[in-house]
Amino acid sequence: MRSQTVTLANPTGLHARPAKVFAQAVSASGHQVRLTKGDTTVNARSVLSVLTLDCHNGDQITIEVEGDDADGVLASLVSLVESGLGEGGAPS
Amino acid sequence: MSAELTGIGAAPGVAIGRPFVVEPPATEVPDPGPSGPPAAEKARLHAALVQAADELHAMAERMRAVAGEEAEIFEAHAAFATDPEVEDQAAPLIDAGRSAVAAVSAAFGAFRALLAASSSEYMAARAADLDDVCARVVGILSGVSRGYDLPEGRSVLLARELTPSQTAEIPRDRIAGVVTETGSPTSHAAILARTLGIPAVVGATGVLAVAAGASIVAVDGRTGEVHVEPDADVLAALTARAGQEEARRVALEAASHEPGRTADGVAVELVANVAGRDDLAAAVAAGAEGAGLVRTELLFQDRRTEPSVDEQAAYYGEVLAAFPGRRVVFRTLDVGADKPLPFVVREPEPNPALGVRGIRLSLRRPKLFEDQLRALVRAHRDRPGGGVTGVMFPLVSRVDEVVAARSELERVAGDEGVSLDGIEVGVMIEVPSAALAAGRIAPHVDFFSVGTNDLLQYLFAVDRLVAEVAELTDVCEPLVLDLIAHVVDNATAHGTWVGVCGETASDPEVAAALVGLGVRELSMVPGALGEVKDLLRRHDLASLTTVAEDARHAGDAAEARAILAKLA
Repeated sequence: MRSQTVTLANPTGLHARPAKVFAQAVSASGHQVRLTKGDTTVNARSVLSVLTLDCHNGDQITIEVEGDDADGVLASLVSLVESGLGEGGAPS
Repeated sequence: MSAELTGIGAAPGVAIGRPFVVEPPATEVPDPGPSGPPAAEKARLHAALVQAADELHAMAERMRAVAGEEAEIFEAHAAFATDPEVEDQAAPLIDAGRSAVAAVSAAFGAFRALLAASSSEYMAARAADLDDVCARVVGILSGVSRGYDLPEGRSVLLARELTPSQTAEIPRDRIAGVVTETGSPTSHAAILARTLGIPAVVGATGVLAVAAGASIVAVDGRTGEVHVEPDADVLAALTARAGQEEARRVALEAASHEPGRTADGVAVELVANVAGRDDLAAAVAAGAEGAGLVRTELLFQDRRTEPSVDEQAAYYGEVLAAFPGRRVVFRTLDVGADKPLPFVVREPEPNPALGVRGIRLSLRRPKLFEDQLRALVRAHRDRPGGGVTGVMFPLVSRVDEVVAARSELERVAGDEGVSLDGIEVGVMIEVPSAALAAGRIAPHVDFFSVGTNDLLQYLFAVDRLVAEVAELTDVCEPLVLDLIAHVVDNATAHGTWVGVCGETASDPEVAAALVGLGVRELSMVPGALGEVKDLLRRHDLASLTTVAEDARHAGDAAEARAILAKLA
């Protein structure tokens, strides 16, 4: 298991749209990924679970990846969060 | 017995019809018990969730053409429907003998409770979205008719609140209008009603109790009036108003796809402001003849590294492809210290509005500027269907900035082997010094675009966001009209054309006066194009010029606005 803590940089935090972008990326990775904020941990593949974490800009979240090539998947999810989850990189 | 109440006008138009009460969507139904073994019940649930997501994707697709960004709400709903946790949480309930419909209600209900408990207003509001999705799935599973079961004739919908789905699914030909007890003009439902052209009144507290059993209800979505069982005089007046509104709507619709021009045929390019991909379809659907202000900030913001030339060119190319053969004007990066970019590290400034921003930043970051120009030049070279591509520099305050920016564009274009023939160079006129120097800048550019929002801020030293001083500025102040006339006169003397972008251009009477002053391009939010086109087509240039000149000679902005109101 690999994990990393990142700070949410996109303006709305994990609102519906960025949460959807993140959950879809997790789904596409085929890996078990958990997301933790404070003392709550959820299945990151579930957009609704990610939403209920109630994450805002500047919040710290921890991404945990299980399985083979966990490093690669973790790095790409971290870079997705850092690039703004579709709110920055690709104009909406 | 007749009654009258007033809500908030949320979508213009008059609607007269029989009231029809819409209940909130049912998120639970009495448990019918499983219709088969757990495995079959789970398969039914899976199929229903997939069907719901398909319906929501289709709805997003349909709404995207008319509602742009607003359509994304349905993509979010589709993602809720296919959330794997919903099935995972429903599965053990089904194994324990519950039906698919009861299990899915419980699964959505658990998420709903978590969202509703959030201290964030945004998250709490998502609970209503979840209900909307849940009701759709419940409807599919229980086989309840989910369409509107309407009586004969045209109806006025009454509801406590309409969900986005309920609003998007309104059969436009059978529903005259909508009245809700709650909601605000900025709610999803109100925005959707406006984009769909359905007259709507929101915040009409008590309307259900008063109007539910009535035989006729008349509403004015402009004034917020709701008349229940109106008497003959009121009904006649509203019927006349409905006729006028309908004629107006038809005229606007017809005019929106005609080229912009005055009554005597002087062409005025009516184009759209574009901030991102989602604006493109809405702009084209609204009859935009091109794009007069394509913002590029979204490519740069909220990311750690600057976008590559390829990434930028792909986005610019996508915008150009939406307007084949038309003029599309890109504004180069316009940010300042108030929106710092991680890859452009700078000291904070005490007053970002007057610091390193717009073209000042680009000229100090040659690589950043060069990459953007290179991407624009390549996108222009590869653009399908041809057309003029404009490159516009923001926050110009001096002639030498224009000379430097232009020569960099020429160098990059030469480097890429692309001719500047199809590329126009322009500057935003938003700093008073640039407006006053119009005659000196004009020989160096093909066009000006007057950015009225910032021009007013810098001219009057007023921050528009500070409510206490905001009213000190008005584009209709005669001196502002004088300044715009000065810009136009000096520009046209050098063959430089002048456009206006900013909120001003979308106010029909002000826009018409600007045309009277010699402005020949107006860039605005797509929704305003129809009204502006319609007004321009009803006046010839000479009368617009007369009215604009009269406004310039008014004592103050209020007097000038009264003069312009004659154009309506």
